[in-house]
Amino acid sequence: MSAADSVSMRDALYEAPGPRTRRRIVVGTVVSSVAIVAIVAWVVARLYEMGQFDSRYWYFFAQWSTWRFLLMGLAGTAEVALCAGAIALVLGILFMLGRISHNRVVSTVFRVVINFFRGIPSLLLIYFFFLVIPSYGIKMPSFWMLTLPIALTASGVLAEVFRAGVNAVPKGQREAALSIGMTEGKVMRKIILPQAIRYVIPSLISQLVVVVKDTSVAYVVSYPDLLQNARVLISNYDALVSVYFVVAIIYILINYAINQWAVNLARRSGAKVVTRSQENPV
Amino acid sequence: MSEDTQRKTPTIELRHVEKHFGDLHVLKDVSLQVEKGEVLVLIGPSGSGKSTLCRTINRLETIDSGEILIEGKPLPQEGKELAAMRAEIGMVFQQFNLFAHKTILENVTMGPVEVLHVDKKKAEQEAMELLRRVGVAEQASKVPAQLSGGQQQRVAIARSLAMHPKAMLFDEPTSALDPEMINEVLDVMVELAREGMTMVVVTHEMNFARRVADRVEFMADGQILEEGDPNEFFDHPKTERAREFLESIKGH
Repeated sequence: MSAADSVSMRDALYEAPGPRTRRRIVVGTVVSSVAIVAIVAWVVARLYEMGQFDSRYWYFFAQWSTWRFLLMGLAGTAEVALCAGAIALVLGILFMLGRISHNRVVSTVFRVVINFFRGIPSLLLIYFFFLVIPSYGIKMPSFWMLTLPIALTASGVLAEVFRAGVNAVPKGQREAALSIGMTEGKVMRKIILPQAIRYVIPSLISQLVVVVKDTSVAYVVSYPDLLQNARVLISNYDALVSVYFVVAIIYILINYAINQWAVNLARRSGAKVVTRSQENPV
Repeated sequence: MSEDTQRKTPTIELRHVEKHFGDLHVLKDVSLQVEKGEVLVLIGPSGSGKSTLCRTINRLETIDSGEILIEGKPLPQEGKELAAMRAEIGMVFQQFNLFAHKTILENVTMGPVEVLHVDKKKAEQEAMELLRRVGVAEQASKVPAQLSGGQQQRVAIARSLAMHPKAMLFDEPTSALDPEMINEVLDVMVELAREGMTMVVVTHEMNFARRVADRVEFMADGQILEEGDPNEFFDHPKTERAREFLESIKGH
């Protein structure tokens, strides 16, 4: 299915290659493959020369305690990511509703709020929560000093994602709902939002990947996430490259899984539409 | 005053309605009345303002000046009052506009359950009766995209009927349909007219107008140019504009 998809996508964008183009593609493929192999070989050789493959950098990965420690970090990452994701979803919808309000003042205020959180780096906001807010005597566990800033920056992005979804719902849906006597609020809740959210589910999940990656600055507030625990391992075993390598793989696998989930969801809803129109009876 | 009380209040009345879209004067001093049980057909070239006129009656389009009265009461401007008034006037759109994320049955029960707060079971029973009446009961559990245009439009009519409207507005209900599906929708509308529903219908279907319209209003350039009995209008149009228009749609 995915292979068929990509082929059809390519066919839609480009015309089918002719004989000369096909020859050029083959040459390009060979040249770039050779180049990539050479680069990888050089990196591996350098690492080998530096002794990065020595067992003293790797033996502790054979111990359960190492993995348990990393898994605890992973759990911390997951907690922050899920919690921040959930908060961002709710805030994103609220910000979007404020943004599309007919009241000019409300809409302007929320436009500023959204652009502020969308534009500010989450690390800066984390510093603010970590350094500025406590100085006013507000105490917060490190979990929230990490989760809230990540949630806020994500909610700015999600607000715009939701707005795109709401704008994508055909005008007639709203008119039909109004014409059977629904109030504006009910139209939004019962008719527009459910459809808008369906449209943007893939984008929502992609944003979750950003949230997961954002959690990796947890060391700023000394919250034990995956990367923070990895740093502990690094100083314990004095093994930088090997630990970062393993942790990078873990992050990539998580985010790859999330992306696959998004693709599956998108395909499933897309496939439904296709079969539905094909079924068209009578 | 005494004359007023003797005469029945019209279900829908427009008095000197004016509307502009920017520089475009879309409704020019439009006045009309629709009595209870009457079927009024609005006909005219595209861009004449007939759809806009139809949509002003439940305030999907606002007006610049003039008055719109529903059963003698001015059309509310906003809020719950407007919603309540809309609930009493059915509307059928050219593009059907069924709620895409709901099943056919849910499309019909939506209004009664969410707006009139009818018990869900009861609403479903009545919805099934309505769907049977318009001939799409077997499709009740499907979603709109699985139905043909004609079926969708009949569901849209059932959705409006579920609100027990005082009057129904049809905004070019058959214009988006494939030719072979037009009649199945018109048949439902004819039946509604026979049962005494008050209807305002924007349409080009002359045969339909002849069969069921009590009155035809011919619109062009935002004005009502001619008004009268359908057979009289189609056979002996009084204005040049109407003659030209009828000639152009009769062609084929």
